[in-house]
Amino acid sequence: MTTKKDLAKKCIWIISILVFLLLLLFFVSLNMGLVKIAPNAVLQTLIGNGTERDKLVLLEFRLPRMVLAVMIGAGLAFSGSILQAVSKNELADPGIIGINAGAGFAVVLFLFIIQGSMSALAAINLWLLPLFSFLGAVLAAALIYMLAWKKGINPIRLVLVGIGINSGFAAAITIMQLKMNPQDFMKAAVWISGDIWGASWNFVLVILPWMLLLCIYALYKSHTLNQLSLGDQVAIGLGVHVERERLKVLFTAVALAGLCVSAGGGISFLGLVAPHIARKIMGPKHQYVLPVSALIGSFLLLLADTIGQNILAPTQISVGIVVAIISAPYFIYLLMKTN
Amino acid sequence: MSILSTEHLKIGYEEKIIVEDLSFTIQSGEITTIIGPNGCGKSTILKTLARIHKAKSGFVYLDGKAIHKIPTKQIAQKMAVLPQSPDAPAGLTVFDLISYGRSPHQKGFARLSDRDKEVIEWALKVTGLEELRDQDVDTLSGGQRQRAWIAMAIAQETELLLLDEPTTYLDMAHQLEILKLLKKLNEDENRTIVMVIHDLNHAARFSDRMIAMNKGRLMKEGTAEEVMTAEVLKNVFQIDAVVVTDPRTNKPVCLSYDLIEQEKDMNNKNGIVQEPVLV
Amino acid sequence: MIRKDCAIVELAENRKNKGKNIYKSALLMLSCFVLVFLLAVSISVGAANIHLSTVWEAVFQFDSNVQAHRIIQEIRLPRSIGACLIGACLAVSGAILQGLTRNPLAAPSIMGVTDGAALALIISLVFFPGLSMGEQSIASFIGAGVGVLIVFGIGALSKGSVSPAKLALAGIAVSSLFQAITTAIALHFDMAKNMGFWHAGGLNKVNWSGVHVLFIICIVGITAAILMSKALTILSLGEDVSKGLGQNTVMIKGIGFIITLFLTGAAVSIAGPIGFIGLVVPHITRFLVGSDYRWVIPFSAVFGAILLVMSDAAARMVNAPFETPVGAITAIIGVPFFLYLARGQGRRV
Repeated sequence: MTTKKDLAKKCIWIISILVFLLLLLFFVSLNMGLVKIAPNAVLQTLIGNGTERDKLVLLEFRLPRMVLAVMIGAGLAFSGSILQAVSKNELADPGIIGINAGAGFAVVLFLFIIQGSMSALAAINLWLLPLFSFLGAVLAAALIYMLAWKKGINPIRLVLVGIGINSGFAAAITIMQLKMNPQDFMKAAVWISGDIWGASWNFVLVILPWMLLLCIYALYKSHTLNQLSLGDQVAIGLGVHVERERLKVLFTAVALAGLCVSAGGGISFLGLVAPHIARKIMGPKHQYVLPVSALIGSFLLLLADTIGQNILAPTQISVGIVVAIISAPYFIYLLMKTN
Repeated sequence: MSILSTEHLKIGYEEKIIVEDLSFTIQSGEITTIIGPNGCGKSTILKTLARIHKAKSGFVYLDGKAIHKIPTKQIAQKMAVLPQSPDAPAGLTVFDLISYGRSPHQKGFARLSDRDKEVIEWALKVTGLEELRDQDVDTLSGGQRQRAWIAMAIAQETELLLLDEPTTYLDMAHQLEILKLLKKLNEDENRTIVMVIHDLNHAARFSDRMIAMNKGRLMKEGTAEEVMTAEVLKNVFQIDAVVVTDPRTNKPVCLSYDLIEQEKDMNNKNGIVQEPVLV
Repeated sequence: MIRKDCAIVELAENRKNKGKNIYKSALLMLSCFVLVFLLAVSISVGAANIHLSTVWEAVFQFDSNVQAHRIIQEIRLPRSIGACLIGACLAVSGAILQGLTRNPLAAPSIMGVTDGAALALIISLVFFPGLSMGEQSIASFIGAGVGVLIVFGIGALSKGSVSPAKLALAGIAVSSLFQAITTAIALHFDMAKNMGFWHAGGLNKVNWSGVHVLFIICIVGITAAILMSKALTILSLGEDVSKGLGQNTVMIKGIGFIITLFLTGAAVSIAGPIGFIGLVVPHITRFLVGSDYRWVIPFSAVFGAILLVMSDAAARMVNAPFETPVGAITAIIGVPFFLYLARGQGRRV
């Protein structure tokens, strides 16, 4: 069995391997697609010596998109880890319990209200979209919390209410979708199924500070998450102010989900699968689970994006679809194995 | 010296009142057991004492201060609680579980100080789990697992330890193992223990004081000899009990019992006369 | 199939419910009258309001020269009767599912049926474009079947008990997977808008041939359901109890699922996925007439029909002259109801 020192060493090993794989994927992905950039050309461009074309494609298009993919993957993984700890349910995920749907609803509503078409999305003040998405996520989470609260939170009730809220928001989104004109409808459909649409450095800069802040806060709360996962009664006995702490970490998870939806649309299952794999490798302590699941999430999302962009070229399959196709079978397998 | 006491406690869930008016005192340095039939409210009372459950009215005093006024982390430094059927996440080692017991004494990132490590080692030793320190809690046997949870509770280094049915799902040997451990903690370190126990004879054997509850009312409070009488057991459990003294422990033991009303009916129907066993 | 042990159940019921049976029969007949009335009202409202007396004439004294009569006969009547039948099919399916799985949250719409049907439909639209409406319906029917099989397969093959939460999650997983594949194909082959409309559920494509098929399936399915209603009632007491009473639970479940499959498959393949009727109606029914499936099934059929006819009328009226998808209306009723049910699910694990 592993001792504490072993676990810390294992963590460092795993993180190193994951970072290496991520970089590898990064180079491979750049070498695919409509414009292929070979690895040494990548390096050249990064230090400033590349061709004009390479510079444009790499620095203006590919790189921001990949950075976003890495961030969204990490954010969703963090969000899922927290939700699973709080709901004491290994199968919780911001997509399943309706937080993504809430955020998506807010975004679609926002676009509907400003009568803008989806193509105007990019032109809109970049602050507004993440803000609306965040508000939608918070609204969904608040609804779920209030409805699931009956003298305390029961994890099963939380998940079931989440599923209900998910259906509700999904229906609302469908209604609004049908009122859009066909091109917008199509773009909305793509976005809702998960699409890294805003791949520009400006957008990255809008999202990055919040993402970092929330992730660092989540890491700070690792021990609290550990205590919460022992169950409410034990946690109270250990002196944890359960209702308050739960709200704090839930808020973090929801905010992260909201940010990720604003950047990447409705991506389901990632927040479920990444923490799960992380926990299998590293055990249940959140000091290890959070960083490892973030790296796994980033890797999976970048992989899904690469596959989505290249497998049926020149059509793009949105990243959410690829993630769903990869993860749903794994999720089903998990369902069958757990009790 | 009273460490924990209640005053006119009224406890319930939503509309249902379980305990109307409860007042008692737990003496420091003693083992007190709460006994009673199913649904009498024993677990709920323990949870209210541990501030896990909020009372509808009345007070719980910890060291003389009203418990709801004390910050929860501070309470955790004075009182440790072990609820019924606790659940550890998969993959958690015994060492890690016990280390969580140090949290009331830690800040922020919860790094283990040298003192913390000392206490964890000591908890492992006292519960006899040194060999199993790196094993996953969910792979342990029932008795070992319970010992691991108790180790976590004692790692909290509190004077007061509250346990809700710590022996209910264990076999005979393991039950005794746990109770003897608790007795040792009480004698060696003067810890005050309050627990809810189903097995009357165990309760009588290991307690300094017993509290018998029925339908939310305190029926009898006192030493094992005072509470374990046929009269009290009839009022509390509706049983016709035969109480003798255990030659091994010199404590009262319920040797056998029968149901009260039913027995009369059976006598009449079958025409069989049941001779009560007289002692 | 059912042995005489079940006479015990019957005896107990008969003694208690003698008076109640009359009440229930009266209620059933009243509901039928309400249904017919609502049907007539539903036919008369719409983009062009038609007087009730005209409706009466159109049915019984049809004159093909009168335009109103033609509208009624060709468009509105089949649509409303279709709504009636589909509502009945969905409600009865839901009732059977809830009885079979002993799960108050079971409903055709979260069991992988609708998304399986959608996937099959888009595959047939894209890869076999020459299929007729009837053949498309058959394809989506098959897809529905596959969806149900997978979801229940997960339930059957998984470790541990099949709790409501688990089944709901399995349904979501399978639905999401199918949805993802469907969306991928739809976007790739530029059929997104078509799929979007189908997905919201609408009764605007219901014609007489569809109604004929529906009618047959509905009558056969509901009759079969009524025939096995006693078995269902006993099954809802618990698996072990019903085995102890001598029932062949495997066969009962199998037949039950097949009936559900046919009823829901037919409904979905003609009108697309219409959610929540299968979830909500059985609860209302059980609330009014208790848990005896000999009453629950017929009442669910009538109530389901009433609910869908009303929702369809609302869907046509809300944003006239545009069609609102009827699925949206049923969602407005259904989601709060589902949430109310979910709140009660804290105890069971």
